[in-house]
Parts: sequence; structure tokens; C-alpha cells
Amino acid sequence: MLKVDNIVTRYGAIEALKGLSLEAREGKVTCLLGPNGAGKTTTLFTIAGILNSHSGRITLGKDNITNFPAPRIVRKGIALVPENRLIFPQMSVEENLIAGAFARPRKDQPAITADLKGIYERFPRLKERSAQFGGTLSGGEQQMLAIGRALMARPKILMMDEPSLGLAPIIVQEIFDIISLLNKEGVSILLVEQNARMALKVAHHIYLLEGGKVTFNGNPREMQQDEAIQRAYLGAGLT
Amino acid sequence: MTDFLQNCIDGVMFGSGYALLALGFTLLFGVMKRLNLSFGPSIMLGAYAGTWVYLNFSQNVVLVLLATVITTVAVGIYVERLCFWAVRRDATIASMVSSFAIWMQLEEVAMHLLPERTYPFPTFFTSTVIDIGPFFVRSEHISMFLLTLMLLALLHLFLFRTRPGLALRAVADNPLASAYMGINSSSILFLAFAVVSAIGGLAGFLILSADSQVTPYFGLWATFKGLIAMMLGGMGSLPGAILGGLLLGVVEANAFWYGGPVIRDISAYLLLFVMLIVRPGGLVGQRIVARQQAAYERV
Repeated sequence: MLKVDNIVTRYGAIEALKGLSLEAREGKVTCLLGPNGAGKTTTLFTIAGILNSHSGRITLGKDNITNFPAPRIVRKGIALVPENRLIFPQMSVEENLIAGAFARPRKDQPAITADLKGIYERFPRLKERSAQFGGTLSGGEQQMLAIGRALMARPKILMMDEPSLGLAPIIVQEIFDIISLLNKEGVSILLVEQNARMALKVAHHIYLLEGGKVTFNGNPREMQQDEAIQRAYLGAGLT
Repeated sequence: MTDFLQNCIDGVMFGSGYALLALGFTLLFGVMKRLNLSFGPSIMLGAYAGTWVYLNFSQNVVLVLLATVITTVAVGIYVERLCFWAVRRDATIASMVSSFAIWMQLEEVAMHLLPERTYPFPTFFTSTVIDIGPFFVRSEHISMFLLTLMLLALLHLFLFRTRPGLALRAVADNPLASAYMGINSSSILFLAFAVVSAIGGLAGFLILSADSQVTPYFGLWATFKGLIAMMLGGMGSLPGAILGGLLLGVVEANAFWYGGPVIRDISAYLLLFVMLIVRPGGLVGQRIVARQQAAYERV
């Protein structure tokens, strides 16, 4: 559904993505793994229209969306749950969620209200805290808020940048449960993770990134069969 | 004691004008994280347009008000395009310096267009003195105070009940995240300038019609009072701006009563220094700054 074809993205003179290609298929969880500086976040930013690619092509379905500005990308149906969550700390939980639907047209209002209710049903804790400032939530709750906020855009594909970062293991489990539940309900997900073990449990397809390029691509089983990769990413003990 | 209370009443009344100016500064600072020094001078130019209409065309108060507000908004947009839209977002010092340059430019324009410098400004309010028990209040101050309250209510509705208001607060709260939500921050900035300039134009009109004259120094005066009131309340905080404005009004009124005009002006700066040393974040600001930091540290 979402296809990235041979993109090159630069920060000034530094080439962060050196001809990277990948595909996120409809209804699947696609995961980008790799060390710091491999270009995972840069890939998401380039897709989201926050960074411009120097060359290459990004398509969503049949539409070429290469280097569209961020608001247009959101309207096309790609939402981002950013690294570190980046909620609005001084806006209420409800306002955070409403802001997530900002790219939708005004006439969508009844559907937006219904979606808000849906988010509250999915995350009862957000409902309990709906009037609280976003900044007063715990890390896990903020992550739920960031996910809920992205869902408010009714995305065709949800991009998540390290949703487990800085969270306690029990909360990480909870977040990954949410991810697989969302996926079962039909949401396509493009996931960036450093927590390879958790990622392997939910992902249908995995891309390993290194130095701005894809060095491996396959399903979790293929990845586990590759001994060199297993040593580098999963540690010896995992079978 | 009666004197002191009387001064406090006067101070609150006049401080409401300061509060409006501070509100303009703090709203822009909240959205841009940059200071617009030429806010005061753009109001001054608006006021000159108002007085020009008054002298040449019509004594109608509504027309004068419209001329003042529309010109202030036009000048505000000019400032936004030159100092903030054209200058990179992260170049905060460059924006501040260029807004200072525009300030000088605006004063020159005012002096050339209206070389006599001091012009009458129409008094919208009929001046009578109203007795309330042992105290008395000037009617134009009551009108100014009430209009300020109305304006605050409107602004509150705009910020908290409308879509553009929500977008504006989102950009102020977390510019990066608001970009991810598909909020176009440069059009929001433009909107913020238009709204703030309209508030500024109204504030200028209210203050000047209580004063019944306008001089080119009004720009300097408005920028100083607005900045001081904003710093007193806490940068970027709307309730802080209102509190800061009222506090400044009360302190100045008392200083004037007990010490005269020179002491009044000194007292404003003294108050600012004391506040910056004792509570660097301002009356309301520190709490918010601390909370925001806590939020960012947690993420």
C-alpha cells in the first residue's frame, strides 16, 4: 500500500538515506529495525513530509505523494505517532485528541465526535483523564494519548516511532498489545523499534536498516534463521 | 487606608489597559517564542490613522475606532511578513532586532505624515465622576475596564471554543507535534498576528481616548508597559498577562499618589527588577514553566 522507492534524504551535506526502498502492505505490521543513526526516523519523517527527499519516489496506493507538505500527507491518510510522544502538555487530553483530527474537513464533525467516543472506549484511562492537561499523564498514558491522537486522523496507515521508548516493561507489553489489537482491527502499521524482541512478536514483515540502507528484508522467521542477524539483534539466547 | 484603596481601584481600572497590551505580547510570544518589539509602535500608527480620520473626515467614534483597528492590523501583518515570516523560525535574535528596526521605521513614518507630533484623540467616553461610598471612579475608566473584560471573554471564547483557536494553542504548546497533526503553523502565525493586532488596536483606542491625545511616544510607552506587564505575569501565560497588567496599574497608581509622576515611572521598573529576582518566571509563569519542563523531561 505504502511504497518507498529508492529515496535519498539529506541533512545538509550528510546523506541519511542512501537509496532506501521498502513497502508497508495493507493490514500488516511492517517493522523497521536497526541501530541508532540507521535512518529509521528519517524514513518516517520523509514519508510524513517533514523532511524532503532528494530523489526517489513515495507512493500511497496509486498516488505519488513524494515531498508533499506534512498537512497534505496527513489528509492523504498517513498519521505519525512521534518518538517521545510529543503530546500537547498544556492542552487537555480531549483537546489533544481533537487536535489529532485537525486535518479532517469541518463537515466530518459528527464522525469526529463518534471517533472520539471510540477512542475513549478503547482507552478508558484517557476518558477518566479527559479534562486533565496532557503533561500530567504518566509515560504510558501519554503514549496511549499519542496513539489515540494519531487514530483521530482516521489514517490508512499508522506510523509509530519507537512507542516503547522510556516505558516500563509492563507498559511496553500493554503498548504492544494495543498495536496487535489495532492491527487485528485492520489498521496498517509501519513501526520503528529498537526493542527487537517485542517487534518480532507483532511484525509480519521486517526491514533491517543500517547506514541509510536496507540490509535485510523478510518475515520474522526468516530473520531468526539468519544467524549473523540473530547474534547482532536478538542476542544468543533467543530461539 | 481610604487613599490606598482608592489608588487600587484606579490602578485596576487603568491596569486593564496594560493587561490588554501584555496579552498581545504574551499571545505572540506563546505562539512564536519570539518577541515582537514593534507591537507598541504598530498600535501608535493605528492611533495616528484614527486621529487622522477624526481630524479630516468624521467625528464618528465608530469610524475612528475602525480606522485605528484596521490600520493596526495592517501594520501588524506588515511586521509579521518582514520580521517573522521572512526570518527563519529559529533565528530569535534576528527577528527581535528586525522588529526593533521596523519600530524605528514606523516612528519615522508617523512623524513625517503627521509632523505636529501631538494630536487630539477623540474621547469616546463622557467623563463624569461616579461616587461609590467613600470612593469615586471616573466613568471612562469604568468603560475601559468593562470593555477590557468583554474583550477578554471574547478572546477566551476564540481560543478555547473554536477550531482556529485550538490550532493556535496547539502551535504554542508544541510546534513540532502540531505540524504532525497537519496544522499549518505559518498560517496560524499570520492569524495570531491579525488577532493580536486587533486587540492592540482596541487597547490603543481605549487608552488613548481616556487620555484624549496621541504622540509618537505612544509606541515606546505601549511596548514598555506591555513588556513589563507580561514579564510580571509570566511570559506566555494569558492569566499572567492580565494579573501583571493589573499589578502594574495598582503599583503605579499608588506610587503616583505617594510620590508623584517620576516615582511612578521608576516604580514600574523597580517592580520588574524585584519580580525578576524573586520570581524570574513571573506571577504565574514559573509554575507553568516548571510543569512544562517536567513534561518534557518525562518524555
